[in-house]
Amino acid sequence: MSEHAIEAVGLRRTYRSRTGWLRPQRREVEAVRGVDLTVGNGELFGLLGPNGAGKTTTIKMLNTLLVPSGGSARICGYDVVTRTREVRRRIGYVFGGDRGLYDRLSARDNLRYFAELYGVPGREQRRRIGELLELVRLDGRDDDRVEGYSRGMRQRLHIARGLLHRPRVLFLDEPSIGVDPVAARELRQTVADLAATGTTVLLTTHYMAEADELCGRIAVIANGRIQALGTPAELRRHADGRRVLEVEAYGVTDRQLAAIRTLPGVREASMDVVGAAQVLGVQSDAGYDVQADVLRALDGVRLGRVTARQPTLEDAYVAIVNRVAEERPIEAVAA
Amino acid sequence: MTALLRLIGTGGVIAYRALFNWTTPAMFVGTLLVGPLFQLFFFAYLGRQLGVADDRFYIVGNAVLAASVACVFGGTMAVSNERRFGTLGHVLLSPRSRTAIFLGRALPYALNGLLIAVSTLTVSSLLLGLRIPVTALPGLLLMLAAAALACGFFGLTLGAIGLRFRDVWLVSNVAVALLLLLTGVNVPAAGLPAGLRAVGGVLPITHAAEGARRLVAGDGFGAAAPALAAELAIGLGYAILAAALLKLFETESRRQATLETV
Ligand SMILES: Nc1ncnc2c1ncn2[C@@H]1O[C@H](COP(=O)(O)OP(=O)(O)OP(=O)(O)O)[C@@H](O)[C@H]1O
Ligand SMILES: [Mg+2]
Repeated sequence: MSEHAIEAVGLRRTYRSRTGWLRPQRREVEAVRGVDLTVGNGELFGLLGPNGAGKTTTIKMLNTLLVPSGGSARICGYDVVTRTREVRRRIGYVFGGDRGLYDRLSARDNLRYFAELYGVPGREQRRRIGELLELVRLDGRDDDRVEGYSRGMRQRLHIARGLLHRPRVLFLDEPSIGVDPVAARELRQTVADLAATGTTVLLTTHYMAEADELCGRIAVIANGRIQALGTPAELRRHADGRRVLEVEAYGVTDRQLAAIRTLPGVREASMDVVGAAQVLGVQSDAGYDVQADVLRALDGVRLGRVTARQPTLEDAYVAIVNRVAEERPIEAVAA
Repeated sequence: MTALLRLIGTGGVIAYRALFNWTTPAMFVGTLLVGPLFQLFFFAYLGRQLGVADDRFYIVGNAVLAASVACVFGGTMAVSNERRFGTLGHVLLSPRSRTAIFLGRALPYALNGLLIAVSTLTVSSLLLGLRIPVTALPGLLLMLAAAALACGFFGLTLGAIGLRFRDVWLVSNVAVALLLLLTGVNVPAAGLPAGLRAVGGVLPITHAAEGARRLVAGDGFGAAAPALAAELAIGLGYAILAAALLKLFETESRRQATLETV
């Protein structure tokens, strides 16, 4: 048995597509531009990054759905291009979303079909499917057609399918999308249990708290490259020596946000909308007290609570991603 | 070995329930049982009016053709509906034989088509008063089964093309119209230009319809056997073609992301 569950060296992927018919345009997108990864057996590894960073593309190369344009990868020692059958026997793939299930079949029949496809022996199928339906709490609704399922129920069925054949390596691409908080907590517990019993998990998520809680190591990917890699504690150091000021506000303009970014000592400024309020997050060097300047820049805006706190993993993530946001151009268009 | 048979048999049946749009009673009876019957009457009466050919020609021909709609559209859906549900990627992640997965899917449709052809033939010969020799029945059943199987694999081939080129219904609608025109079911093959006749020769139905007519005319199984063999060969050809296309498109998609895998 190979000592690494996942090994990727210089993984690259370029998408070529044509649009238009009369005057065809060729577009090239370099989605993944040289990714090196090594994930040990039983490790729970997180892949974080903004939309379009190349996370799903990376996973699709590792799970044999796409051939890399460059570089190579192995799962449990088997090459993902040449040994697809061995790789597929050992991996599970859960992809977040509403689609990907046979709507006209019940949950149980969906699982029966994929149990066939994924080579679960006939004798074991019934028991295994029962176990999984219980695990994802769909027992009781298991004979209803999937078309009547809520989003979270579908998501849980996706997870059950991914586990059918007891994969050694599990790819979870945004598994908690659309799952309610209680079910999400159960899902995290399930994932942690799987890792504890030796399953290797590669997880992508946009929920920093989830990654922080679960992952032993995390890679932050942006622009198709790994920008930072380490334990959550190590990544948090990217925001070390900083302070975070959070201001609740109503009606901050883009121009004001831009002005705040240029204040002395300010490193990042971002804005989230929470309900009716905006939450302005300003990271600054620890030596500066930017509060007075920021509040002056927000002159005339109705403000709520103002708090100062230590940086979190999310702040570190924002710092890493913003750092690369400047060097952008990745798309080439040729006629 | 039993595992492979399970994949083909059980897998095929579950996939049929998952992917065939027309399993509701109304659709099934209306589109698949009643529809072909009226089409048969249309051509039989038209034939009587014009005096081109006798009832036997139209009844037997159209009964064989009746299997084709369910099989061609069904086979198409059996592959290209994966796109509608977004399940293709999960199917392609299977480590098992593509040939078994996909060819197994054609079998329920073939059975379905056989049922339709038998019912169409029975009802129409009772209503229009066509007498079929009892000794011809086993051979006739074989002939209809061969036609249905060939149509199922033909549909699978179209489904594979639809999966890749996205205009599924265009492909299968044209194909069904071609079957009507070129298989010699309603237009005697002798009346077609040589080029079109040659195309008809490699379509499903053509040989089975000819063989079935011989059987109903009382020519005996020996006279119809070459037609049966030809129909089976055509079916096998489409099975191989479908498997090859699916393999080709899968390989291409892994390189160029041409199929929607999620
Ligand atoms: N089939 C495709 N054809 C062309 N371009 C594609 C295709 N799939 C993805 N891309 C492009 O590749 C880039 C990376 O996409 P990818 O799906 O890997 O991102 P991601 O990190 O998973 O994003 P998200 O967080 O939104 O899921 C994007 O620019 C995307 O537009
Ligand atoms: Mg993605």
